[in-house]
Amino acid sequence: MTANTIQTRTVRDARADICRGLALWMIVVNHTPGNWLGGLTLKNFALSDATEAFVMLAGYAGAFAYAGQADRQGWAPAAAALVRRVSKLYMAHIFLLVVFTAQVGFSAAALDRAIYLDELALDPFAEQPYRTLLEALLLRFQPAFLDILPLYIVLLALLIPALLLRGRPWLLIALSVSLWLGARASGLNLPRWQEGGWFFNPLGWQLLFFTGFMIGQAARGAPSLGLPPRRPILTVLACTILGAGLAVMVALEHVPTLGEALPPAIPDFLATVDKTALHPFRLLSTLSITYLVGHYVSREGRVTRSLLARPFAEMGRHSLPVFCFGILLSFVARLMLEAADAWPMQMAVNLFCLLALISVAIIAGWSRVTVRTPSSALPTGPDAR
Amino acid sequence: MLRYFAALAAIGLLSLPAKAGATIACDVPADVQTSARPLPGTLQAVEQKTLRVLVLGSGSVTGPGATGPDASWPARLQAALAARFPTTTIDIAVRGGRGVTVNDHLALLREASAMEAPALVLWQAGTVEAVRGMDPDEMTEAMRQGLERIRRRGADVIIIDQQYSRFLRANTNIEPYRDKLRLIAAAAAAPLFRRYDLMQHWVDTGAVDLERTARPDRGAAMDRLNDCIARALAELIAQGVDEAR
Repeated sequence: MTANTIQTRTVRDARADICRGLALWMIVVNHTPGNWLGGLTLKNFALSDATEAFVMLAGYAGAFAYAGQADRQGWAPAAAALVRRVSKLYMAHIFLLVVFTAQVGFSAAALDRAIYLDELALDPFAEQPYRTLLEALLLRFQPAFLDILPLYIVLLALLIPALLLRGRPWLLIALSVSLWLGARASGLNLPRWQEGGWFFNPLGWQLLFFTGFMIGQAARGAPSLGLPPRRPILTVLACTILGAGLAVMVALEHVPTLGEALPPAIPDFLATVDKTALHPFRLLSTLSITYLVGHYVSREGRVTRSLLARPFAEMGRHSLPVFCFGILLSFVARLMLEAADAWPMQMAVNLFCLLALISVAIIAGWSRVTVRTPSSALPTGPDAR
Repeated sequence: MLRYFAALAAIGLLSLPAKAGATIACDVPADVQTSARPLPGTLQAVEQKTLRVLVLGSGSVTGPGATGPDASWPARLQAALAARFPTTTIDIAVRGGRGVTVNDHLALLREASAMEAPALVLWQAGTVEAVRGMDPDEMTEAMRQGLERIRRRGADVIIIDQQYSRFLRANTNIEPYRDKLRLIAAAAAAPLFRRYDLMQHWVDTGAVDLERTARPDRGAAMDRLNDCIARALAELIAQGVDEAR
């Protein structure tokens, strides 16, 4: 297939990179409990958060990287690239798990918690080390904060068969919606070691990933459903969904007196909005944000080219190293906040994390340009990885 | 959001941490205060001279680390309530312990005959669930069912959230569980006793900081913490009784 049938030389959409960079940064902030910036991230103002954005944009980037490759070289090479990617993610996950375990051990020793936190069985590693290791390798043991990479691994693995259907977008999205509905109705989830299922059920979250994939396909001109066109009614709808989410979140989280004045039916409904299998409201919230950004933030406008947006765009362009390094950073940041959490440390932690993330992105960008392998002389599309 | 800026300003002013010591009061600042809701069942029990309170919880209800069984927070609460309602017999039953989850609490609530009907239930949850990584929605569902049961029996309920500790905060994903507890309490129109925020405030002001207390002094600090918690709870209960009048 030549580059004429499907235009592969699409210019990268800076908006997607910026949003992805912002999501990556928010994930690091949200992974450091006790960080004051955690009160300002998306999850405080909407019924969806950075994880949703990250997963959707992973699908979007997947369309450019792998559907693009499949169009140019066929399914098998694209599938092979995906397998390589999945193994890389798996290795990164296991590495982060080892670091996390060391961090828990370190802070347990540093805080001498034995006396009153004895109900905490945070370290199955201490009790059943061999079994825990096995369960971790099987992804059936996922400690707190290490649940996004396993989700990402499964989603990319699902993309391998899904690439075969890239020419039939309606079928693909119908399968995806059915799987989501089925998982929600039956409670089907991948198993966890001790009890229950994954914190992020991949069978539910795949819908967001494939929605992003569809938008990516449309953006590069491949057969797809794409974002609905700009219509006043849809804009009003999106604003209503986000406005309602914003109003109840602010009332319940930040203005207790207002929150108590709400009829109990509202918190009662919100209590049932689950993150595990991607509640429809969380999906709608993410789609609304996507629609509004897609139609109302100009692709080459002032915002996207601003100095402030540039570091985030750079981070979004190199999401894997930035994500993994970010999780690593969040471990360090947690130890820093554990030692002290007044404003000097808050400033230090956040400046350190942000600067480190930006540096990683810049170094990754530099090494991609300078350490290129000859094979990339092939007519590649924008490397959206 | 305002809360964060307020905290930022407050801590900025107090950026030299106060020395831990018995002189610093474990106050309940306005921004951490739980607004009371009327507790009609409790009022009725107080007027009938016998107030039965059921405490459901995990490890902390049994008073681990304190100097004796009289120093657990339910025991201190009994003393504080007895002082406030001198003519009423205060009867506190404690159910729970290490590693007990809301599913176990729900099972307890289901066997209605097992205990005398309480007028007030203090339900502490969210710690074991967070530590074990239980599905937050499973916790929500169990608590909704339990709260419905309590309501049908005509008892009042106060929900108590997690203990604050730097270790817990750094090593478990506690926020989703705190968010759920807020919503569950609001949905049941029950007051949420914000133990987590309170304890954090006391750590920040140096009133009680278990994690920075030397081992020999820790029993005394634990007693003090339990007493502070019990007093704040007694205040909340007394306000609820007043509001129901």
